[in-house]
This record gives sequence, C-alpha cells and structure tokens, in this order.
Amino acid sequence: MKIIMKEDFQNFINALTKDDSLNVIGVKSRGNKFAFGPLNSADELRLDYDVTLLPPKKYFFPQRETLFTYDLSDGFSAKNPEETKPMVLVGVHPYDIIALLHMDEIFRETKSDAQYFKKRESAIIIGINIQNMSKWNFSAYMGSAAIDYGYDIMLTDLGNRYALTVGSQKGGELLAKYAKNVVPALARDMQIAGQKKREVMNMSQQKFDFPPELIPELLKDSYGKSGFWEKHSEKCLACGSCVLVCPTCYCFDVKDNPDLSLEKGEKFRTWDGCLLEDFAKIASGENFRATRPTRYRHRYFKKGKYLFDRFGFVSCVGCGRCSSNCLPDIANPVNLFNDMYHENELNGVKMATTATQPEINIQTEGNIDFVPKLATIIKKTSMTSMETLFEIKLDDKTELNHKPGQFVEVTAFGIGEAPISLSSSPTHKGTFEVCVRKLGNVTTRLHKLNAGDKVGIRGPFGNGFDVDSLKGKDLLFIAGGLGIAPLRSLINYVFDNRKNYGRVFLLYGCKEPKELLFGDEMQAMSSREDVEFKPTVNWCPETELWNGNIGVITTLIPQVSFDPEKTTAILCGPPVMYKFVIADLKGRNVPDDHIIMSLERRMKCGVGKCGHCQINQIYVCKDGPVFNYSKIKGIPEAL
Amino acid sequence: MKETSFEVNVHHITRVEGHGNINVDVKNGVVEKCEWSIPEAPRFFEAMVVGRSWNELHHITSRICGICSIGHTLASLKATESAMGIAISEQDLKLRKLALHAENLQSHILHLGFLVLPDLMGVGSVIPLASTNLPEVKIVLQLHRTANEMSNLLCGRTTHPQRLIPGGFSKIPSMNELAAIRKKLQDSIPNIQAVAQLIQSLAGKLPNFTRETEFISLSHPSEYALYDGKLLSSDTGEAPVKEYLSYTNEYVIPQSTAKWAKHKRDSYMVGALARLNNNYKKLSPMAQKTAEMFNLQPMCHNPFMNSIAQLVEVVDSVEDSIGIINELEAAGLKSQPDYNKPDIKVKAGSGVGAVEVPRGILFHDYTYNDRGVCTKANCIIPTNQNHGNIQLDMKAILPQIVNKPQKEIELTLEMLVRAYDPCISCSTHVVKVNLT
Amino acid sequence: MKPKVAFFDFAGCEGDQLQVANLEEDLLTLLGQVEVVTFREVMKEQSENYDIAFVEGSCTRLQDEDRLKQIRKNAKLVVAIGSCATIGGINSLRNYKDLDGVKKTVYGENAKLFDSYAARAIDAVIPVDAYVHGCPIDREDFLHVVKSLLQGKKPETPTYPVCVECKKNENVCAFERGQYCVGTVTRAGCNSCCVNEGTICWGCRGLIDNPNENSEKEVLIKYGQTVDSAIDKFRLYFGWQEAKR
Repeated sequence: MKIIMKEDFQNFINALTKDDSLNVIGVKSRGNKFAFGPLNSADELRLDYDVTLLPPKKYFFPQRETLFTYDLSDGFSAKNPEETKPMVLVGVHPYDIIALLHMDEIFRETKSDAQYFKKRESAIIIGINIQNMSKWNFSAYMGSAAIDYGYDIMLTDLGNRYALTVGSQKGGELLAKYAKNVVPALARDMQIAGQKKREVMNMSQQKFDFPPELIPELLKDSYGKSGFWEKHSEKCLACGSCVLVCPTCYCFDVKDNPDLSLEKGEKFRTWDGCLLEDFAKIASGENFRATRPTRYRHRYFKKGKYLFDRFGFVSCVGCGRCSSNCLPDIANPVNLFNDMYHENELNGVKMATTATQPEINIQTEGNIDFVPKLATIIKKTSMTSMETLFEIKLDDKTELNHKPGQFVEVTAFGIGEAPISLSSSPTHKGTFEVCVRKLGNVTTRLHKLNAGDKVGIRGPFGNGFDVDSLKGKDLLFIAGGLGIAPLRSLINYVFDNRKNYGRVFLLYGCKEPKELLFGDEMQAMSSREDVEFKPTVNWCPETELWNGNIGVITTLIPQVSFDPEKTTAILCGPPVMYKFVIADLKGRNVPDDHIIMSLERRMKCGVGKCGHCQINQIYVCKDGPVFNYSKIKGIPEAL
Repeated sequence: MKETSFEVNVHHITRVEGHGNINVDVKNGVVEKCEWSIPEAPRFFEAMVVGRSWNELHHITSRICGICSIGHTLASLKATESAMGIAISEQDLKLRKLALHAENLQSHILHLGFLVLPDLMGVGSVIPLASTNLPEVKIVLQLHRTANEMSNLLCGRTTHPQRLIPGGFSKIPSMNELAAIRKKLQDSIPNIQAVAQLIQSLAGKLPNFTRETEFISLSHPSEYALYDGKLLSSDTGEAPVKEYLSYTNEYVIPQSTAKWAKHKRDSYMVGALARLNNNYKKLSPMAQKTAEMFNLQPMCHNPFMNSIAQLVEVVDSVEDSIGIINELEAAGLKSQPDYNKPDIKVKAGSGVGAVEVPRGILFHDYTYNDRGVCTKANCIIPTNQNHGNIQLDMKAILPQIVNKPQKEIELTLEMLVRAYDPCISCSTHVVKVNLT
Repeated sequence: MKPKVAFFDFAGCEGDQLQVANLEEDLLTLLGQVEVVTFREVMKEQSENYDIAFVEGSCTRLQDEDRLKQIRKNAKLVVAIGSCATIGGINSLRNYKDLDGVKKTVYGENAKLFDSYAARAIDAVIPVDAYVHGCPIDREDFLHVVKSLLQGKKPETPTYPVCVECKKNENVCAFERGQYCVGTVTRAGCNSCCVNEGTICWGCRGLIDNPNENSEKEVLIKYGQTVDSAIDKFRLYFGWQEAKR
C-alpha cells in the first residue's frame, strides 16, 4: 500500500489529462447527480459521489457503436471502426469493477467480442472505495462493496491523502510516469484504510431478510407463482430504465443505417432491453414475451438464475441503479426477493440452506465477426406466392460446411440481416440453399433480387442435428408449413447416406395445396420406395385437385405405424403445432428423448450475445435451434 | 387606357407561409373587385391557453408559427415575466438578443433566397436554380445553415426552441461554442456581400411603386430595436408597449379568417421596412452601407423594398451578434447549473410582451390568476397588421399595371404579397374569444 | 426514375415543412433522389401527378376532408409529418373547450367561414402509410423515413418510450429534478432532445401503442401533481389519441 497527498494526486490527474495519447475519464457532477465524463482537469472530479447515472460499461460497450461501414459502389468494402485512444477511468466503485468482470466473461463466452476487448485491454481502471453510499445500494450483500482485484490502482480516501493499492503492472507504471511523492504507507495508514473498507459494509440502507446467496434457489420454484409476477409488474411502464442503467446488462440490437445515397452506410449496434415491448417479437408478428409480467419476470430470472446456472455468479452487483430509476418503484430486487421469501414462508415452502452450485462449461472459440461474406445468388425458384428458394454460392469459393439444422444470417445490403435456415444438405457441394418467406423488410428485399445479385452471408450458426446419434434409427419427420425447409437439409442428408439410417417417414402438412413447398421433390418422394411420405392439407378449395389427406397434421400420425423404441421423431413447424404433435407422439409411447425439434426465435447476432432469442436460460441461436424434447420440456417459455 | 377585361384568381398563393387568395376582377378597364382574402383555418390559440399554467404558455404559443417560434416564445415569456414581475439577468438578456438575431437571419435568408429570388430570376422556385446557379444556391444554404446553427446553440433548435424558459435559459452555450459561432458569422460576411451584389444586379426587377402609409415598430434609444423598446409610429411618435391596443385596433373583414388592423390611416405596415424607416440611424455601419447600395433610406414607401430592408437587417444582425458575443466574452460568461430552472414566485397579474420578429412587431398579452393559471390572452401577429396594407397596395397598384399581360399582372400582385413576407397561418391564430 | 413527391399543409404552423427546408446541403442530396412536384411554400409549380404525398397539419374542418381524400387518391403513399398530422398535435387542446362558446365570434354572420370541428390527425380521414412524429419533426427521423420508402421498406418506428433514449443519453430524470415529464408514455425517436436541452418531455410524439397510462398518472401524483393537473398534462398533445381510446 502507498500514500499520496491529495495535492499530489491532483497534479497526477492533471498530468494525465495533459497527455494527448490518453483519454482521461472521471466522475463529475451532472445536475444533482453524477456521471462519468471526459476530464479536463482534476478540479472536475467528484470522488465523494454515491453512484453515477450510467455505469462505466458505456465506455467498453457504448450505447451506440458502429460495427462496420460499407460502400456498395466498391464491391462491399467493409471497414471496421477506427481504434480509440486508451482510456484511464478515474473513480470506479468496486461494484462497477465487479460488473465489468461479469461483462468480460459474458463477452468472451462462445465467441469473443473483439471490439469490447480491444477497449477493455487498453484501459486503465483507477478505482476508489465507497465514501457515500446511495440509499438503494445493496452491494455489501452481493459481495461487491469492496474488492481486492480487477483494478490497476485502488484508492481509499483518508482525509488529506489517499491510500493507493497497485493492482497491476500497468497501474504501477502509470504512477511511476505521472505521479510524484508517492510514499510507502505507514502502519497507521493501513489501519485507517482497513477500517474505512469495513465501514462500507455497514452503510447499506437496504436489507435482505434471507441470505442472498440463496437467490437462485428462491427463484427455482417461483416461475409460475400464481399472481406474484402480475402483482409486482402491474405498474410497469415498460420504459426499460431498469435494464438500461444496469452495469451487467448487455442485450443489444443490430441495425443498418444507409446514407441518403443508399450506396454507403454503416451497421451499428445499440443497447436494447428485455423489458421493452417488442424485444422478443419476430417478423411474423409473434411476440414471445408479449405481456408485462412475462418480461418483468424474465429480468429477475436472467440475473438471478439463468446467468448463475451458466457462469456461476448471480449477475447483480447491488448498485441500486435499477431501483432509483424506476418511477413506479417496482424494480428493487431487495423488495422483490424479500417478498418472494416471505410468501414462501407464509405458504410453508421449505427453502434449501445452500445454493446448488451449477456445472459450468464455458468455451471460447475465436471472435465474433459481424461483417458478412459476399455471396452470389446462382438460382432463384419461386415456389409459392410467399416463398422463394435461393441457391447461393460464396464468392470466395469456399464451402459453407454447415450441419443440417443450422442457419445463416442473410444480409440484404442496405436493409439488414435476417436469420434463415439452411434448406440443403452439406453433402451437396459448391452451393447451398435457403427458402425465404416474404415477411419483413429484409425478406421482401431478398425476394426482389435475382440470379447474379449479391447478398451477405454470416454463419453457419446454431447446433444443427446430431446426425451421428441418429444413425441406425428409424426417422419420423413431421413438418408443418415452412417447417419443411430446415428439415429438408436433414432429409436430403439422410437420402445421401441412406444405408446409415432405418425407415424414414415424412409427414408434411400445410394449410392448403397451393402452399406446399418443394412440390417436385415431394412428388418424387411419393414414388420412392425407401420413404413413407404422407402429405396433408387443412382444407382444399373447390378449384384445386387434391388426392391426399385432408386434416391437420396430427391426423396423419395414426396413419403411420412405427416402433416408438426404434424411432426418433423430428419436428419443425409453427409454434402452435408442437404441443399437439408431442401430445400425440406421447400417446404412441414415444420416449421424451426420442423427440427432436427445431425452434424459431428472433435472432440478431447469431452467437448468443444480443439476448433476443433467449428462451428462459437458453440461447436458441447457440444452444439450438435444434433441441431434444427431454431437455426443454420443463422450460416454460419453450413451447 | 385600353378597355381590358380579365380576372386574376390566385388560389393559395405560393411561396408564402400559409394560405392566401388574390381575387381580381377587371371589366372594361374598371376594377370591380380587388381582394386579398385569407381562407386559412383558424386555430384558436387564445382560447387554448386559457386554463393552462404559466410554465406552459411559451411552449404552446411557440406552435403558433414554425418560422418565428423563437419570436413567439420570447414575446410570450416577456408577457409572463411582466405579469409576474420576473426579471432576467444582463447575460440572459444578451443571449435572448442573440436568439432573436438568429431567427431574423434564418427567416430573412429563407425569404430572400427561397421565396423572393426565384421571382427576380424568373423561375418558379429555388429548385431549378440548384441546377442553373448552384454556387449561389450553395451560398444561400450555407448562410441558412449558419443561422440555424446559431439558433440551435442558443435555443436548442430553431423551430419550437426548448432552452427559452420563464426567467432565463435551461441551458446556455459555453464561451468556446459562442466563439465558434462568432467565427462562422465573421466568415459569412463575404457570402452576404455576394448575395447583396446578386440582388443588386436584379433590383431593377422590383417595381417602382409607392403608396404613402404609416409604419409601426419598436424603438430603442441605443440599439436597432428587436427585443426591447417602446412602440413607435411614424405618424404619431412613441408610446409605451402596454398601450398597444390603441395602435392595433383589430377588426373583422368578411373575406378573411384573419383580422385586420389600423391606426391613424386605413392601414399601416410593420416589418423590416417599418423598422428601417423608424430606426435607420441605429443600424450598424455595414448595414447602412448595404442600404446605400440600394439607395434605401427613410422614408421609403415602396413595399417591394421590404425585401431589401430584410437584406440590410441580415447585415445588421450579423454585425450586432458579433458585438454581443464580444461583450459576453469581455464580461466573462457566468455558468449556470445543468437543467437550470429559475425559481419563480407565482402571482396574479397582467403583462404585455412585445418583440420584433422578422415580419414585424408581435404582441402577447396575458392575464394570470394567483395560482399562475392564464385567464385571458391576446396575441397580435405582424401579418394581421399588414393585411390592410396589402389590400390597399393591391388596389393602388392595379390601375398602374392593368394594361400589362395577364401573367405579368399576376406575378406583380404575387410579388407584392411576397414582399411583405406574410406568415398567414400565424395571423389566423385566433378568433376573439368571449367565453362565458 | 425518381419518385415524385408533393407537400401539403392543413392546420399547422408549417414548422415541419421548414424542417425539410432546414435540411440545408442534405436537401440537395435529397433532390438527387426525388423530384419535388408540389411544395406550395417554396415553389410556384404544382402537379396532381405524384407518388408520395407529405401532409402536415391537422384536419380541423369538413372542407379539409375533401382535400385530404383527393390527396389520397392521387398518391401511392401518404406520409403524415408532424404531430398535428400524426396525432392531432397541439390543435387538439381546443377539443376540450366549448367550441360553440369559442365560435361566438366577432365574425357574426360570417360564422360559416369558421366551420370548425374537433381537430384530428389525418388518419381519422384517410389511410396513412407512414408517420414522421414530433413537434417539429426531427430532420434525421424525416430522412430515415424517406430512405426507407426509397428502399421499398416499411419505416421502423420505436414502440418504446422516450425514457430509453433519455437513459442512453445519461440525463437526470425530470422527476428527480422536481419537474414533471410524460416521456414514460411518449413514443421515442427524438433522441430525448428536449430533456437533453435541460427541460422535460412534453409528449409531442404521441402516446406509445400500449401505454400504462394509469401508472404514469400515479407517478405524476406521487411526485406532487394533482389529479387535474395530471389529466391536463395528457391533454396537451394526447387529446385526440385519448379521445380515440
């Protein structure tokens, strides 16, 4: 531990601000509150602050950030944004430092976010122990009111001087270069510093009525708590304040912004929030979390359970920003969890005394790339009034090397990206196919393109079907409507490796005959001997010819005879289909883990970061879109 | 005189703000009808503000006009501040004057460049000029941009300014920002001179027409009055602003949803020409030089010269703004808290706020009860005050041009209306309200 | 072929059309992408042949309806610009006044000139394809809508409230400063410009699609407003929208 007199500290800060190669940022006053902002002189610093309006994460994961700029008149030259000067952040409280460490793990997992880490690695964090604590702060309960790591320098205010703890080589070098009169701490100094840190633990005006380590346990059985979430969210304005000011929130939206010429533009990401009404809405209009109680509940579960199960920490540092910014005062986690705990007590629900530690399996493989690869449309086949099949080839002549069941993000330049399932088998080399339904802006633009036009491709993403585990099994494909498109990638794969698989059944249903996709292939399938193919339509207009079954898809199931022990059912269709089909399969004694399905959600980044595709704790883009029923049957939002 | 018969019916005259009609009927050389009429929908602002609170009125009345919203906001604030005895600081006074200059600049440049220049260059709008005279159009756009940047800096934005609040400003610029805009103003002077020369080369196209009329404006002992001053009539001299009703005397005309005004004669004129006629000596040196380029000096009774007077005012606003920023720098700009909201002691009272906006003198007159709720309001818009003059000018000029080709008569009458730079939707802001 | 565009105005202050003129140099770029065939405030020429009609101002009298219907017939796309056109705007303040009392005017027998009814958004009379909200419109928002239409795209309008933008801009909440704000139920898209300038959100972009009005009114009262003044606040811009609900 070292000591620096306050006057020397001022000089140290002023020396930093004079260095043009650094971007010096500190806590300043704003109105009657505080905020991190660019520092021109040490006089502006307010190190006695209680909490800043926004956490320092805004410097590493900005409110709005260009991912890349493009110029269509020049092929598709994508440029990454310019690098920024290294930052020195002065006055970060321990809870915000811990929050940054949480963010590090989140942005590193699966695929690393290079833009975030570039800034993070070059930044220098000068922390300070809490002098004044906001009345909403409960960081002492979350173990984040004081910290021994995660900073380059940590300050403690001792009156006329600061105690300095150097936490890294970078911190030591910074002091050596810019600070004068830094002396070793005396025993008395260390004693006072220790005392100050302990005092922080007693400053909290919030109080948990139970050990907060048990929050994940408390949440475990509270998902369907009757009336609880409705009662607590009644006043919710869906304003998003609670999540936008949170130091551990990281959901974002990705958009295109062309300039007036429509030739040049940028792709950018911006903060988003799961409390906002349309967060989980997809182009077809379906909204997977349409009501306030479901969205309100999701936030608590994400922070207190899903992220805990995935990373091993409750992703809340107790800064209290959500509580102080919620106008109807319903966002305070302390109030909510206390209420939940007391309700359980009243109802005689027994709670565990220790939290079950989750099994953590985090992997990282490379960086996220937001820049798509250029690809050309080789062939365009219109199948119905709404669906068109595109055959696409990557311009760099590489193979996509996808697995059946994976998807790609297709860019219509200037408009945006849309996630589309791959419809062709990887056994077919050279090109790949996607079946696009015209629904929103991107897909409408894609439909206007022709052979020879360019698109962008990112991916393949998702887990795909586990073709090896299906070997030797009988396969019962059940496709509803557009669901045939992703299943086709597996069906064709199976046909190309026919001897590896047992009997193959395909049940395919649409609303009416003119909506049937891949008409020629379906015809061909009727004459194949190695597949039992049964199509059906919900109804047939008088003007059409139809010899097949009429009725919803479940009417086909009794018409096939299969051995439930040997058969794996593979489902894909509109959300409403699953419940009924699964019920009928269960009625035929098909075991849970013999049922596989591909689910759709709103996918933006494709790599499990932006948060939009989440079903409870699962990221559809990363843990799915293919799921085994036994794994998700307990998950409320899934079906 | 030839025996001509024709009709001129301009429905919704173009290149003016708001909707106005010109209806002329000449039979055998005799003018049977000559009407300037306003069919604009009345908007009832004076009724809308009754029952609203003192801290809302400036926000609501700003919406009377999109082009002079800074002027309306300032007149409104002056009326409220006068009613409640609220004073503003010297610094805020200077900043408000800068805001008004920014508005004058923006509006005059828009009028000259987009609305008047096409007539002088014989085209329908500024759009074809973007192809044939791109450098000049770019200069006009650049001047307009500077004016808008100045408004943004002082008021938050040009249309419906947010920073202007009772008692002062919610946010003020830094001295660095003021210095930057000062540089832009200085750099714009050669551009203004270029525009002046262009207009001088076309000035012959302005009809040489005079009709003696009265001019009413503000007047101030030491400055070219825009923000503060006493009432001044070229016929009767000075009067305190609170006696405005005896000057304006609004009355109803059948063909118009806007009311007209008159004082000693059947009509009077407000606006740049009125201000120049009444306050010529207070114009800045460069502004007077610009006036001399066009032989414009008091007393000028040619309404077409209003546009030239606006050009002169552009120069004055630029020069005066630079001077005010110098003063602020010399005195040192005092900072104020973020999200500033002056403490106001609400009390009952009445007050009149008068301000010169680009088109002329504007009055807002409010009465508040002891809870700060508005019980009565009256607004007199510059264009209301000009309608009578426009009508009489039309009647007077018609015999002089009755033998010209029809298209030329139409154009001259339209140019006459445009010269006044009327803001018609403002002038139909109200109907006199007697709520029982 | 450049699409033809036309501008029309009804009862309003023409501030939104001024914002288009205020595009400055971007105006020249815009003119490279579209052909302006009618813009009464700025040009003499007019045409009945246009693809996109931009309409400013509210419909405040019966005779306005015919003009609106004609515009709808002529145009492929109708875009309402500015609060008066998109939600009724400040004109709708007077809908709560006794209009007959107000019409007791100095105009006397010429009262028919003052045919006037409740001010309303133009989509009360004709179907509208896109909206540029705000009083006045924000020039970036206007360009965003124009760019989207040129791309054949439906313009995206936020369904979340101004609070989202206000928080991103790190403002101190109005309620924390002793002021009253309706940003919690007002549609975002303005980048919280008024709060950024040090004041409050007045609600000029209109209510979001599913506002929790009761909660906002409770918040206003919790922080010290009376029930009446909370209702008044909603009448400033939401008068027409509330009457519809």
